[in-house]
Amino acid sequence: MRSMICITGATGGLGRAFAVECACRGWDLFLTDISADALETLACGISSTYMVNVDFYPSDLTDVSSRERLFKHITEKGLIFHGLINIAGPDYEGPFAQRTPEQIRTILRLNIEANLEMTFEALKHREKGRSFRIINVSSLASFYPMLIKATYAAYKRFLLDFSLAIREELRRKGCTVTVLCPAGMPTNPPCIHAIDIQGFMGRITTKNVGYVAAKTIDYALKGRPVYIPGLVNKILGIISRFVPSTTAARLIYERWG
Amino acid sequence: MLSEQNMIGKTVVITGATSGIGLATTIMLAQKGAFVIGAGRDKAKCQKAEETILENSPGAQVTFCIADLSCLSRVKVLALNINRIVNEKGCKGIDVLINNAATVSSWYTTTPEGFETQFAVNHLAPFLLTHELLPLLKKTPEARIIMVSSGSHFRTRFNWDDIMLRKRYNCLLAYKQTKLANVMFSIELNRRLGEDSTVRAFSVDPGLVNTEIGMKGTSGLVKWFWKKRSSHGITPREAASGIVYLASEPSVMREKAVYWKNCKSCNPSRYSQKGEALLKLWEISEKMCGISSEKYKLPPVV
Ligand SMILES: NC(=O)c1ccc[n+]([C@@H]2O[C@H](COP(=O)([O-])OP(=O)(O)OC[C@H]3O[C@@H](n4cnc5c(N)ncnc54)[C@H](OP(=O)(O)O)[C@@H]3O)[C@@H](O)[C@H]2O)c1
Repeated sequence: MRSMICITGATGGLGRAFAVECACRGWDLFLTDISADALETLACGISSTYMVNVDFYPSDLTDVSSRERLFKHITEKGLIFHGLINIAGPDYEGPFAQRTPEQIRTILRLNIEANLEMTFEALKHREKGRSFRIINVSSLASFYPMLIKATYAAYKRFLLDFSLAIREELRRKGCTVTVLCPAGMPTNPPCIHAIDIQGFMGRITTKNVGYVAAKTIDYALKGRPVYIPGLVNKILGIISRFVPSTTAARLIYERWG
Repeated sequence: MLSEQNMIGKTVVITGATSGIGLATTIMLAQKGAFVIGAGRDKAKCQKAEETILENSPGAQVTFCIADLSCLSRVKVLALNINRIVNEKGCKGIDVLINNAATVSSWYTTTPEGFETQFAVNHLAPFLLTHELLPLLKKTPEARIIMVSSGSHFRTRFNWDDIMLRKRYNCLLAYKQTKLANVMFSIELNRRLGEDSTVRAFSVDPGLVNTEIGMKGTSGLVKWFWKKRSSHGITPREAASGIVYLASEPSVMREKAVYWKNCKSCNPSRYSQKGEALLKLWEISEKMCGISSEKYKLPPVV
């Protein structure tokens, strides 16, 4: 069996863009997401267009038993990987006190528990003797304490720090870890609308997902740690290093609050 | 110029029949007595369109199918539904298929199958739908396939290395490529169907038309630009008359011309007629739709 790239959250806008980009490079794919129908539709389109093998298994990554079934499937089928792209990660925008307990739990389970377990499992099933690439999707929000997106920004920060730490642990084992930190992503009508209402600022901080996926993979192949798409976003990322967190939070409040 | 020919007893399928040029064309065809099967993506819009058509043409024979053309599996279901309606109504087959639906997208977005949205809706969907409806088109004595293309296909070429412009997306170029694809599909389809075929494909340039196409799926700048530009355009009704002419005028079938504007034949771009490009586009489209020319008896012309 040829080794594959494993993509979680594969049927969302960014997931599809990554799946297409990997297929274009001739890599076989293993896709997972909640809906079996959506996975089948995507697998069908990609495999016929790019002549690669696309396998998939539906899983609700917020659910422990569903995750276990997914890992069992991977083990039983003897799947091996040479890369993992962790994309699954919801965002419930709005003031923290107005979130539902269920939303808070989902955010933590999916973004933290599932992401860590998935990374752990994929490493167990990596192809021997070949470089292994991990791509985690964080956000430009991870550089700042963000009101309205408080939980989101904080767990994206967690992902960033976690990724950079294991990157060093795994460096000598032929494994690279790259973190993608984008600003707005025009993946679906609500996101496009949100970017639109930001006007000029939205326009200059947004990059097309096809471009972002291609560039991220270039970065991962070069073993680079962080990719921030777009010049303005890169500058915003750099500024974050010099502004105290409390001041940044206040400034963001002035702009968005 | 509107053809005097009535269309009583004819069956017409038209996509994007819920607004703009498609809705105006559907109204006109219904007024001429055709049985029209319209396709739309939204149930409420389909109902509204049906009401508008019946208001304009009481007693019109019109029915709607709902299908989002951005998903190829739904295109296949649409073809099945059309087959069912044609059979239930006791029609011989389909006399005219008008591939009119199209979309514009400011950003690079993908469809459930992973294709760029404009490429999927504007090119792959009509490519697949036409293949799927070909058996019904072959059943009528003379059948026409009309691709609603655009003058924007001139001065456009394919970016073969990245046909869906994943890495360097440009909304206008993506749109123009799909309109070029419409012309090339009709040329290559005619070649494959052969000189003696009872089915002929045409492409039509409706001109600049005052519709909402640039206001959906686009961002502020494109909306602003389209609003300004389209206000100088003709009305959807004026544009529809050119399509209805192609759908009904008998002499059109005898002419070998493929590309039409203002009820007159003209030359499409030179690039669109290049044999190598025609073949390449066809092969790519077949692969993406997961179909083969053998199944549809459309072998390449050597
Ligand atoms: N307007 C012009 O100046 C101009 C010039 C040259 C060529 N054309 C061509 O003329 C044709 C009609 O355009 P128009 O100007 O009349 O625009 P329009 O009013 O927006 O009509 C487009 C139609 O396509 C439908 N559609 C869009 N995406 C769809 C999808 N995913 N699934 C199913 N249906 C979908 C729309 O449905 P909804 O009603 O639900 O939106 C609408 O009925 C297009 O092929 C366009 O390229 C237009």
